Amino acid sequence: MNIISRGIRNAFRNTVRSGSIIIILALSIGLVIAMLAARQAVQDKITSVKANTGNTITISPAGVRGFDGGGNPLTSDQLAKVAKINHVTKVVETLNDRLTSSSTSLKSGIDPGSLGKRNASNSGISEGPVMFRLDDSGSDGATAHTFTMPVTITGTNDESAIKTAGTTSLTWKGGKMFDTTADTNVAVVGTQIADKNNLSVGSIFTAYNTTFTVVGIYDAGNTFNNDRVYIPLPTLQKLSNQSSDITGATVMIDSSDNLTNVTNTIKSQLGSAADVTNSADVVAAITAPLESVASIALFSLIGAIIAGAIIILLTMIMVVRERRREIGVMKAIGASNLVIMWQFIVEAITLTLLALIVGTGIGVIAATPLTNALVSNDSTNSTDSGPSTTQMRGARRMMRFAGPGQLGQASQRAIETIQASVGGATLAKGAALALIIAILGSAAPSLMISKIKPADAMRNE
Amino acid sequence: MLVVKDITKQFKQGDDTVTALNKLSFTVNDGEFVSIVGKSGAGKSTLLGILGALDTPTSGSIEIGNTDIAKLSDRKLISYRNTSIGFVFQSYNLIPNLTAVENVMLPMEFAHVPSQERRDRAIQLLEEVGITDGRERRKPGKLSGGEQQRVSIARALANHPKLILADEPTGNLDSENGKMIFNLLHTLSRSENTTVVVVTHDLDIAGKTDRTFALSDGKLVSKK
Repeated sequence: MNIISRGIRNAFRNTVRSGSIIIILALSIGLVIAMLAARQAVQDKITSVKANTGNTITISPAGVRGFDGGGNPLTSDQLAKVAKINHVTKVVETLNDRLTSSSTSLKSGIDPGSLGKRNASNSGISEGPVMFRLDDSGSDGATAHTFTMPVTITGTNDESAIKTAGTTSLTWKGGKMFDTTADTNVAVVGTQIADKNNLSVGSIFTAYNTTFTVVGIYDAGNTFNNDRVYIPLPTLQKLSNQSSDITGATVMIDSSDNLTNVTNTIKSQLGSAADVTNSADVVAAITAPLESVASIALFSLIGAIIAGAIIILLTMIMVVRERRREIGVMKAIGASNLVIMWQFIVEAITLTLLALIVGTGIGVIAATPLTNALVSNDSTNSTDSGPSTTQMRGARRMMRFAGPGQLGQASQRAIETIQASVGGATLAKGAALALIIAILGSAAPSLMISKIKPADAMRNE
Repeated sequence: MLVVKDITKQFKQGDDTVTALNKLSFTVNDGEFVSIVGKSGAGKSTLLGILGALDTPTSGSIEIGNTDIAKLSDRKLISYRNTSIGFVFQSYNLIPNLTAVENVMLPMEFAHVPSQERRDRAIQLLEEVGITDGRERRKPGKLSGGEQQRVSIARALANHPKLILADEPTGNLDSENGKMIFNLLHTLSRSENTTVVVVTHDLDIAGKTDRTFALSDGKLVSKK
């Protein structure tokens, strides 16, 4: 029999009361663990979002967007310098070109429709020299009577060029991506253009008077992106006589936290030669509600710790008051304040550890539902709260209008797919916090113990 | 030898000052068995508390073996109570969730006596007071009043104290058990050569002690 065993045994002197206290305390500790897990899950998600969403910077030649505008292309040398900037993980370079009827055997898989015809007409294409691929049904061969949409061919140095072209998912329907660094006459094509031209892996087509072999067919999840042809960058640069030219680049960085800094560095390096844009505002709008949820989880965590400490504090105060004479007797027979305090602290820790065991179960069960409730509640409040309130509304609006692109859907996934789990680290933190609860809850009763006089052993008789 | 010199104890009660003990002086020799008698409120328990270093006098001194316990530090007082004094309370004051053996072992634990040694000593003391046949493993709630008081006496003797202070040790017992407890206390104090001060209002018991001090309104009114 020593301090520890006496403290443990004292915890069970009144089993009904101890059981009730353990259950109440377990609810508090369960909430602590659930909030720890929720906070961890949200913070992990924030890190993940920052690492995977909106961590790209787009570089275009100044004055150029796709095939609109004008100006001079970027060069491989310029982008090689960009690749050396801190936090840059990859620079995806692309060179876009449009194939005319005279330069490819392919036909676009997209029907022009009224929009395509209007765009062509506004560009003077229907009347002027053939730029788009034409179905020449006229007698002079120079005037467009009917036409198909142009075929866009892209030279790239990385597979992710297909994803960064506004694609959320990329599925290979056959074959695989080519070696992007080699100057070879191979291509991957989208399903739309493949179906139109009856292409399969191993098929051939011509472009720039060169025969290309299809090595892969992808599905990018939307019609526009599935109507494209990708070939190695060096091959397109050579065949289109645009040696070292780049018409667009996507710079990937390690975390969106560094987005602004890296963007500014690129701008200062490239100067007026390039338009450099990023999606910092969108990222901020996406992560802000998650940060808000993390804050709510933190406050709830602190609240649960305080509640737990108060529960154990009141319990121990009650116990000390009840055992006032017993404490006096112990002092009368030679126990020091420290010995008695430790005995009560052990008793508090015993109750808390038992509550921790029950609370862990509660925390494991409640972590995910509570996290989802926090997230969805925050989302609902934000959506319902009118046009000038929280950042969450901004994030959801971003998601809504970001369209089918990578950023919009990734943002939505970020908000909606948070899975909280109680791991070893969370349990260790929970146990440490439970210990803090026990010690905080024992502090005031310990002070009370020190004030009890041994003479109380006689006075209370 | 226990030497009490001009002990006064006053309490504040609202704006009034109550004098519980008024300049008491007396001496008790080593191994002597004395009683203190008096009516309720005479100051018997207050005196016992001061003798046992549970409380401090407002003025005066208490010397036990040339040590003035009124001048001891808190730390030394704890040690003094643990090793030099044994208490026997009217309501036994055993720790309810400890067995009889564990209750007797408790003062020895505070004195850092090795575990096995204190268990052996506790069992031996319980045998001396007649708590055997498995009753030593019972908790106080499963023992009779007389048995609990015997355990209390065993606990008081645990650390070989110089002085045993008993506050109405037979007060909660019937006369037969009361006599048995008194005799036990008397016998053990003789065998252990321990000084015993018993507070009682039972004049029969007081008459069997070596000397009796009578208290009234905080003053010593007679010594026999």
